Amino acid sequence: MSGIAQKLASNQKQVAISEFFEKNKHFLGFDSLARSLITAVKEAVDNALDACEEARILPTIHIQITKLDPKKDIIKLIVEDNGPGIPQKSIEKVFGQLLFGSRFHAIRQSRGQQGIGITGVVMYCQLTTGRTTHVRSKIATEPTAAVVDIGLDTRKNKATKANAGREMWYNEDGSSKEHGTEVTAQMKAKYQKGRQSVWQYLRMTSIVNPHAEIIFIDPDGEKHHWTRVTERLPTKVESIKPHPHGIELGQLQRMVAESNDLNLNHFLLNNFSGVTNRARKELCQAADLEGTRKMKTLKGDDIRHLLEAFQGERLFKGQPAKLLKPPTNCLSPIEEILIKKGLSKTIDSRFVTTLTRVPNVTQGNPFQVEVGLIFGGSMAGDKPVEILRFANRVPLMYQQGGCLLTKAIESVDWRQYGLDQAGGKGVPKGPAAILVHLASTNVQFTSEAKEALADNGEVMEEARKAMLEMGRGLRKHLEKKKKMAKTKEKFELINDILPAIAEKSAQLLNRPVPELSGSITKIMSAVISESTTVWNKETKQTDVDIVLFNYTTRPRAYTILATWPEKAGAKMENNDTGGRKEALGVWAWKLEALQPGERKNITYSLSGLERGDWTDTEILFRGAQDVIGATKMDEKFLEEIRRQEQLLLEYEGGSAQSEPTTKESSPEPTPKVALIAEAPPGDAEIVEPAVAPPEGQRTLFGGDV
Amino acid sequence: MSRMHTPEETKAAMHEVVAEMYDRIVKGESPTMTLPVRTKNNIGFDKKLGVYKYGKKQSIRDATSLGSAKQLLRALHVVEFIEEMLDAGKSSTLREMYYISESWGMGKFGSQNDSNNLAEDLEIVTKCLREDFKLRPEEDGARMIGNLTLRERNRRGEWMRINARDDVGDSGYGVPYNVELEKIELLEHDIDFIMAIETGGMFDRLIENGFDEDYRCGLLHLKGQPARSTRRIMKRMSEEWDLPVVVFLDGDPWSFRIFASIAYGAIKTAHISEYLATPSATYLGITADDIVAYDLPSDDLSKKDVEALNAELSDPRFADSWWQDQINMMLELGKKAEQQSLAKYGLDFVTETYLPEKLAELGLA
Repeated sequence: MSGIAQKLASNQKQVAISEFFEKNKHFLGFDSLARSLITAVKEAVDNALDACEEARILPTIHIQITKLDPKKDIIKLIVEDNGPGIPQKSIEKVFGQLLFGSRFHAIRQSRGQQGIGITGVVMYCQLTTGRTTHVRSKIATEPTAAVVDIGLDTRKNKATKANAGREMWYNEDGSSKEHGTEVTAQMKAKYQKGRQSVWQYLRMTSIVNPHAEIIFIDPDGEKHHWTRVTERLPTKVESIKPHPHGIELGQLQRMVAESNDLNLNHFLLNNFSGVTNRARKELCQAADLEGTRKMKTLKGDDIRHLLEAFQGERLFKGQPAKLLKPPTNCLSPIEEILIKKGLSKTIDSRFVTTLTRVPNVTQGNPFQVEVGLIFGGSMAGDKPVEILRFANRVPLMYQQGGCLLTKAIESVDWRQYGLDQAGGKGVPKGPAAILVHLASTNVQFTSEAKEALADNGEVMEEARKAMLEMGRGLRKHLEKKKKMAKTKEKFELINDILPAIAEKSAQLLNRPVPELSGSITKIMSAVISESTTVWNKETKQTDVDIVLFNYTTRPRAYTILATWPEKAGAKMENNDTGGRKEALGVWAWKLEALQPGERKNITYSLSGLERGDWTDTEILFRGAQDVIGATKMDEKFLEEIRRQEQLLLEYEGGSAQSEPTTKESSPEPTPKVALIAEAPPGDAEIVEPAVAPPEGQRTLFGGDV
Repeated sequence: MSRMHTPEETKAAMHEVVAEMYDRIVKGESPTMTLPVRTKNNIGFDKKLGVYKYGKKQSIRDATSLGSAKQLLRALHVVEFIEEMLDAGKSSTLREMYYISESWGMGKFGSQNDSNNLAEDLEIVTKCLREDFKLRPEEDGARMIGNLTLRERNRRGEWMRINARDDVGDSGYGVPYNVELEKIELLEHDIDFIMAIETGGMFDRLIENGFDEDYRCGLLHLKGQPARSTRRIMKRMSEEWDLPVVVFLDGDPWSFRIFASIAYGAIKTAHISEYLATPSATYLGITADDIVAYDLPSDDLSKKDVEALNAELSDPRFADSWWQDQINMMLELGKKAEQQSLAKYGLDFVTETYLPEKLAELGLA
């Protein structure tokens, strides 16, 4: 974003807006009539989601598209949200101002890394239809809504406003609207259906924003409704300071030039994450610079040396300076349970598995990979699986083939996990959809079109590992499904068929009906487990019941293990069988020997979850004889869980900064020194540049709004 | 057939099957039904009978899987159903039985194939015939034309004398599903041999060309894989009238199988091969070398054709060198040909050239 913004700010001043648009439409997202409409919807919906998120409001967004003149491809777009609203004086800034430099120093995960914002939509509308964009917005503390038409004077290259005023805003039911923003725009655009469509964009958006309710009325008047499946808003992300590993020369030069710090020591401690007092000393020595140097005295070579020390090219006692990893609280993963809900509500299926990896760091930038796989149901079995790619919760809809996330999927041999894949390479086939989400403070794209992620070894490795683990989940599910079908058959056999055989044969021979228990044990010759996981409406808890039958001729002893969403904050209640924690999210019960024909129940409830959060408990066992309906404990699986748990603890310890061990080397008192102040909720959509743009230009339109 | 069983004998035989299941349950075991393995791996040549019969390999159907347990339950329902028919003096078709099974709850048949197979299973284990069970196929028998005379007992119980040349229309004499002595008697003939033909088109061609009269033969239309009654009447004519049987089929792996079931006995009915098979039957054509010798229009062998040929190579019924040569030759050619491809040389070629040449080799023309 910063690159475009700067370019726009410095170079576009004298260029006519129409020319600017023409030149840059491919990366502004307006290169075809179909894509222009998607981009317009995207900018408006992203704004709405961001505003709601910052103001901690559960978003409800209405989108309506109408064809005004089908022959000339003139379309009317209305997007209405229930966000905090924009104060009257700020509306023009939001819609008339280019977002240059806005998040330029803010190192955190944000949607706004793509496109040029809603201003681009206003420009596009003006240029293609000559019409202004109508904005209506109301904040809670004011009784009326502000309205204004924002446009653009192409002759003077300036933003215009007209018909500014205030009016009452009523909901459909006649009540007055509390707060929100509505944008009505007219543009030359084409509504299309299919994989690259407004519908698909909204569907994907709904998957990764399960807290949002999205209602879309398409040009045929058909209503598409994606419901809200959780009341939980995404975690509020913290801004972090840049990490030395991720700094480029230009950026460092600018930071030095703009620094108000006392000296280099303060500069290093105040402006970077991961730089402890010790690291500061090491960096100074490696760069051959005195920590007491005033910032103004640092020259080009000094800065270059500092950068080399950052990158470990200049060493301290033969080693690169030891830096802490950047904190990861700047990331907002969607989290496993919510991805699961988002996928399940959108796609009909039989099985969903999701996985959020522990955050990792590449080139000083924290990132986190999340994946989801949904299988079965009404999806077509003979077509390539649907790939749902996201970067910072924004759907990526174009250039699928060139994207790192697609390559990660293609690098896995899916055949071993139960999907078709020619030669074990490429996009697998089968009734499935695969979701990949990269959350990062610095998403690298292959081009300015920002539709495909650039290659990166570490991200690729994380994504691949996530896929493999998910694949194992799918295989387990398919195996379990087979076993369950077998178990069901066995029960049908002993409960229905065998008694019928006994009865009918006795009747034909005119003899008494024989006793069945001996035959049943012989036929089953197995230990069988069944489990149910159900939501209890009254207690608001998830009740789990595990039953174990011994249908063999000998006593059998087992340790039974069950998975539960400990990571998501669930608590175990009424667990009368006791047992102990085996690992994160795995509970174990050692059972006394079950006699032939005996059964044993394990019951417990999970609190702290919402309905639908947890619907399937995996049952595992340790013991000699196979248990139908349970999986033999794979100790490697347990190790992986423990490893992830360990990583998680390390990360939490590292960013919490409350532990005595980290105090000495405490990198920064996080919230206070964030470079960008959090915007107050009421002004959520206004993103003021934290750093003055180079040429002092305030808007694209060549002047102040 | 040689001898039908009385209803009492049939019931007693079926009760043995039921008792096997019952006794196993009483012993605390899974109920079972023991029957011979019905694959090509378990058929062997019976020197005394001159046909292929099931060998000694047994398979035990038990109740440890849902599918086979259901099959046991179905068998009990079928036994009950047959007993009811025997008591009431009724009979039913296999298809009717399939529909009647709708009311058998969990013992209901999944498909007609299931019910046909089960009827055969019961025949095999009880050594009764489906006629004993009062079960009829709905498959219709063959058509026959030629100067031969037989007596058939009609619906009113009267014997009718029928000459299969003079007393029938163009479609010939229809062979009924029951061709046993109580239904059909072979009276007299004035022919030299019997020719069995695979396709209706070729059967009609030979009739139109007057082949049956020119070459003094009886023509029999097999309608693809021949029904039991078709094979049975061929067998009776061959034995009772001491007539040679020649078989004229398409030249493909499936025709070879048809021939094997006529001459040596079919795998599915190997328990009654001695009633159905005609060991003296000869394969007339189309042979693999005919395709080359007569330069017949041909099609490439499909993957399934090749699989079938390879399976035949290891089938004991095709173990002799003549068949091995034919099969290998067809595999090498990679081609198959239909009977009617002979029309390449005109409509009369088959009756004026091809068949006379082939029959001459056998000394029949």
